Amino acid sequence: MLPGVTADQRLFAETAERFIRSTCPVSTVRRVAQQEVQLDVGYFTEIGELGWLALFVPEEHGGGSPSGHPVLDAGLIAEQRGRYLQPGGVVGSNVAALAITLGGTGEQRALLDDLAGGKALAAWALGDPVGGWEASAGVEVRRDGAGFVLSGTKGLVQDAHLAGWFLISAAVDGRPALFLLPGDAPGLSVEPLAGLDLTHRYAEVVLRDVAVPASAVVGQIGDGDLGERLLQVATVLTVAEMVGAIGALFAMTLEHARSRAAFGRVIGSFQAVKHQLADLSLAVECSHAIATGALTAVQEQAPDAGELASAAKAFVGDAAIDVSQGCLQLHGGIGYTWEHDLHLYLRRLATDRVVFGDPAWHRERICRLHGL
Amino acid sequence: MSGQAAEGQAAGGQAADGQATGRQTADGRTAGGQATGGQTAGGQTAGRQAAGRQAAGGQTAGEATGPGLDGYRREVRAWLAANLDPRDDDAPARLRGGDAANLSPERVAQQRDLQRRIYEGGYAGITWPAEFGGQGLTPAHEEVFAQESRGYVVADLGIAGLTTTRVCGPTILAHGTDEFRRTHIPRMLSGEEIWVQLFSEPGAGSDLAGVSTRATRTDADDWVLNGSKVWTSGAYYADYGLCLARTDPTVPKHRGLTWFGVPLTSDGVTIRPIREINGSSEFCEEFFDDVVVSDANRIGAVGDGWTVARTMMVFERLGGDPDEAPRHAGARELAPDLVALARRVGRQGDPVTRQLIARAHVIDVVKEQLDAYVAAQAESGTANPNLGSYSKLAAGTLNPVRASIGLEIAAAAGVAWHPQDTEASTTALNYLNGRILAIAGGTNEMQRNGISERILGLPREPAHDLDRPFNELRHN
Repeated sequence: MLPGVTADQRLFAETAERFIRSTCPVSTVRRVAQQEVQLDVGYFTEIGELGWLALFVPEEHGGGSPSGHPVLDAGLIAEQRGRYLQPGGVVGSNVAALAITLGGTGEQRALLDDLAGGKALAAWALGDPVGGWEASAGVEVRRDGAGFVLSGTKGLVQDAHLAGWFLISAAVDGRPALFLLPGDAPGLSVEPLAGLDLTHRYAEVVLRDVAVPASAVVGQIGDGDLGERLLQVATVLTVAEMVGAIGALFAMTLEHARSRAAFGRVIGSFQAVKHQLADLSLAVECSHAIATGALTAVQEQAPDAGELASAAKAFVGDAAIDVSQGCLQLHGGIGYTWEHDLHLYLRRLATDRVVFGDPAWHRERICRLHGL
Repeated sequence: MSGQAAEGQAAGGQAADGQATGRQTADGRTAGGQATGGQTAGGQTAGRQAAGRQAAGGQTAGEATGPGLDGYRREVRAWLAANLDPRDDDAPARLRGGDAANLSPERVAQQRDLQRRIYEGGYAGITWPAEFGGQGLTPAHEEVFAQESRGYVVADLGIAGLTTTRVCGPTILAHGTDEFRRTHIPRMLSGEEIWVQLFSEPGAGSDLAGVSTRATRTDADDWVLNGSKVWTSGAYYADYGLCLARTDPTVPKHRGLTWFGVPLTSDGVTIRPIREINGSSEFCEEFFDDVVVSDANRIGAVGDGWTVARTMMVFERLGGDPDEAPRHAGARELAPDLVALARRVGRQGDPVTRQLIARAHVIDVVKEQLDAYVAAQAESGTANPNLGSYSKLAAGTLNPVRASIGLEIAAAAGVAWHPQDTEASTTALNYLNGRILAIAGGTNEMQRNGISERILGLPREPAHDLDRPFNELRHN
C-alpha cells in the first residue's frame, strides 16, 4: 500500500481488496478472459456501492471520497485493481465523471448519479489508433450551425463495449474541446479490437459524420486546463494500476524463487537469481515511489503535477516491461504456460504502458512542458 | 560517497549475518535513532521535504511550523543576516575531478573559521545532544535552519567534512566513551577536527571484515598500529581517522576487530593522494608504521569492532550522495546540463536527443522520489533498516546511464574540446565519474546481496570464512 494513508483510506482499500477476493479474484478474471463466463454486470453496481466510481462526483450527485483527496483514494483503488487484474474501464469512467463535475452543463451533471453508482459507465476516447494522445488526435470537427460534426477514429479505448457514454477529446478550430456523447449517437460505432491484454478489451470508437449539438460540449472550447487535468488524472491512475500489477507479479516471482528447488537448493539461493530479484525489486520500489509522488502532486494540483505524472508513466511504463520480462525469465518454463497467471500480468502491463501515452510520448511531453 | 570509497561497506554487513540476525536488527534500530543527528550538520533537506509531502498524503510540506518554531525561525533569520554572507546563486558548483576539486590548505582554514562561527552561533549539531556541544533540538529545528540558510554561504569542508558530521560523529556518539565524546564531538561540530573513515584496505574492499591492519597492545597499555588503508576521501586535509584494526587474528574475522580514533599527525602515519581516472586526488592511501595510539582513543570494546562497523555503515548509507545538487522546493529543472549541451550542439529539436534528455530527467525524478519514499518509511519507524540500499543501488545503476546519455548528446564535443571549454570537458568528467556510486560505499553487487537477503529474505550466500580463525583464511 502507498505510504502516508489515513485510517479511512486504509479501510477503503482493505474493503476493496476483500470485495475483489470474494467477488472477482484472478481465477474469475481468467475465466472471463477465456470467455468461459461473462463478466457479471452486477460487478459495476457493486463497485458503485463501494464508492470506486463516485470519488470525483460531488455529494449532491451521490459522490464523495473517504479522505477528501479523490486522486489519492482513486489511486488506492487503482492499486488493488491492478493487483488483481480487475476488469472494466474504471479509470475512464472516473475521468469522465471528473470532466462533467468540473465542466458539465446541468443536463450533463444529471448523468453523474448513474456514473457514481455504476449504473452507467463512461469511457474517455482520447488517443488515435496510432499512438497519438493529443486532444485532436484522430478526429476532425467541423462547425455546423450552432453544433458540430465529428468524424474520424479514436483508438485504444478501454472497455468501450461496456460504456454507455463517451467523452471524446477533439480540437475545434485548433483549440481543444471535449464532447460527451451517448453510445447510441447516430454515426458512432464501437469496433472491437483483438489484443494482447486478456483482462481488458479495447476498441476503436469510429465517428462517421456524427452530428453533435452545442450542448454536448463539456467545459469551454479552448479550455486546455481541463483536458490537462484529465490527462494527469488518467495517467496517474493508470500508473497506480500498473504499480499494483507490478507488485503482484514480483511477489509471485519471489515466492517462486523461494519454493522452486534445483540442484538440491531453492533457486532463490543462487546469487545469479538473487541479484536479478534485487534489481527487479528496485524497479518495483522506484515505481511505487514515483507513483506516490505523482498521485500526491496531481491531488494537490502542484505546479509540477503534469511533469511528475508524465515522468511516472515514462518510468513505470519502462519498468513494467523490465519486471514482466525478468519475472518470466525467473519462472522459467512454467511461466510460459497458458495455465500460469504470469502472462495475464505481462499482457496487461504491456498494454497499460501504452494507454494514455507510452513512455516515449510522455518523454516528449516532459520536454514540451519544460519549454524545450 | 562518504569517507570510504571503492568496494564497500555493505560487504561486511553481509558477512556478519551469520553471526546474529538479531543483533543486526538491534544495531540498525539504534543507528536509525541517531541518524537524524548524523545528517544534521550536512543538512539533507531536499529529500526530507519531499518525504514530508509524500508522508502527509495530501498535506503540503510546510511541516516546520508551530509556536516554538516560529520564534526559532526569526532568531535564525536574524542571526544569518548578521553573521553570514548571502550566497551567489550563479557561483559554479564544485565539481569532482580536475585540480580544482582539491581543497587548498588556505581554503580549508577559511572553511574551518566559517564553521566555527556557525558553531559559536549555536547552529551546528542542532539535533545533537547538548552535553556534547550540540543544541539538543528537534529535526524540525534543523529543517528550519536548513531552509533559512539556503540563501547564505555556509561552511563547505568537502567530502571529509561530510564524513565527519554524517558518519564519524554519529558513530562516536553511539559508541564512544563520555570522555571521548566530550572531547571530540564539540571539536567536530566547530570545524576544529575533521574526521575520515579508515576502513577499506588494499586487501579488503567488499570483504570489509577481512581487514588486516594490526593493532597490538603494548606493555604501557597503549596500542601499536601497523598496516595500510585506502580509498579514504579527503584524508589529505583531515585531522583524525576512525580506524578499523585487527586486534586478534586467532579468532574468526568478525570477532577480532576494534576501532580507534587515530590522530593523523602521529609519528609513523604517511598519507599519499591517489590519482583517480578523472585526474584529481580526492582519495588517499595511508600507511601506519608503528603508530602508537592511546587506549583512551579506542571506540567500543576490544573485539567488538564489527558492531561499531555496522552502525557506521547504516550512517553511511543514510548519508546520501554528496554530489547531488541541492534542490529547491517546487522548481525542478529539465536536466539543465544536458539541455545546455543539446543547445550548444544545436540538437535541442532532434527527437532522439529530446528522448535522451527526458530519460535523464526521469532518472533525476525517480531518484528524488525514491529517496523521499525511503526517508518517509524510515521516519515511520517500522521500516526495514536496510531500505537505504535501494537508494544506493538506484544511484549505482542509474548514474552510469545518465552519464552515458551526456556523452551521447555531446557526441564529438564530449570527447575533444578547446582547452578553456569547461562546459564540454564537464561532460567527459561526468562520464568518468559515472560509476563512482556503483562502486564506492558498497558496490552494486553488495547492495544486491543486501536487498535480496535482508529485505527479500532470500537465503544467504554460503560462507567459508565465518567460523575459522582469521589467520587461517586465505586473504590478499
